[in-house]
Amino acid sequence: MAQPMENENTRPELSAVREQWVGVEFDWTTFEMSAESMVAWAKACGETDPRFVDPSHSDFQAHPGFTTHCMSGRVFPKEFPQIGGGFGIDGGKRVEVHAPIRPGETLTATTTIADIFEKTGRSGTMIFIVQRMEFRNDADQLVSTVDWKMIKKAEWA
Amino acid sequence: MQITNFEELEIGDDLPEESPDVSMATVTAFCHAAKHVFERFIDHEAAKKEGFPAAIVPGIMSQGLLASMIHRWAPGSTILEIDTVFRGSLLVDSKITMTGAVTDIDEDERTVELDLAIVAEDGRTGVIGTAQVQVVS
Repeated sequence: MAQPMENENTRPELSAVREQWVGVEFDWTTFEMSAESMVAWAKACGETDPRFVDPSHSDFQAHPGFTTHCMSGRVFPKEFPQIGGGFGIDGGKRVEVHAPIRPGETLTATTTIADIFEKTGRSGTMIFIVQRMEFRNDADQLVSTVDWKMIKKAEWA
Repeated sequence: MQITNFEELEIGDDLPEESPDVSMATVTAFCHAAKHVFERFIDHEAAKKEGFPAAIVPGIMSQGLLASMIHRWAPGSTILEIDTVFRGSLLVDSKITMTGAVTDIDEDERTVELDLAIVAEDGRTGVIGTAQVQVVS
């Protein structure tokens, strides 16, 4: 199970947002897993292992990060407050692989706000908003968790 | 060098450096597979208009490149978790270098922790990350 990230010196304003929104589930989407896309993804990533590039292999499956391209319908929940400046930048992706993803499966993804925190570094104070998507297969088995870290410049009145 | 024997692994072991193909043709193929067909990834001139020096490699592709490197280093292994931080742009049609090192070993679970990085042609570190990998050999 993915764990929330650590928080560093969170301001009261951000604490309130965190209190209200972390854990809120706000989007539900399905994605069809096709062998063609899985192979094309793996080959473009320089993969040579037949488990990922040969659909006839007995253990053929999606590359570990394949679900990172599956975007939820909404970036934030409705009514989510405007915190930080601008649209934010993609700070990175964390993927947990729970089970192989097979071609032909329909994955159901649920999206939550997993964490909100701030960090101060050379570029000043930045706000991190972590959007988590959990993917389940047709058997309702959790197969993949993707955490997307969106980074925004802290702007406080 | 590939792993041939889990027992011979040591903390500090380096994965073989690799310079993956991030040509325009390959990045474009990735973008179509990922349904991420945006001009900043597949068109140098359009990327320049957005303020980039050239077209950039999608962050999720850089993570995939690292995963493939791990699979070559440890054939048959299973990546349990991979976490990448996108620190800076990696340019399409440039030479990038991927590195990795073993930072922890769990002999009971037969897993290893790796530190990962991708360095741009100009020496900037574009991506850093970690992975937890179950090794079968």
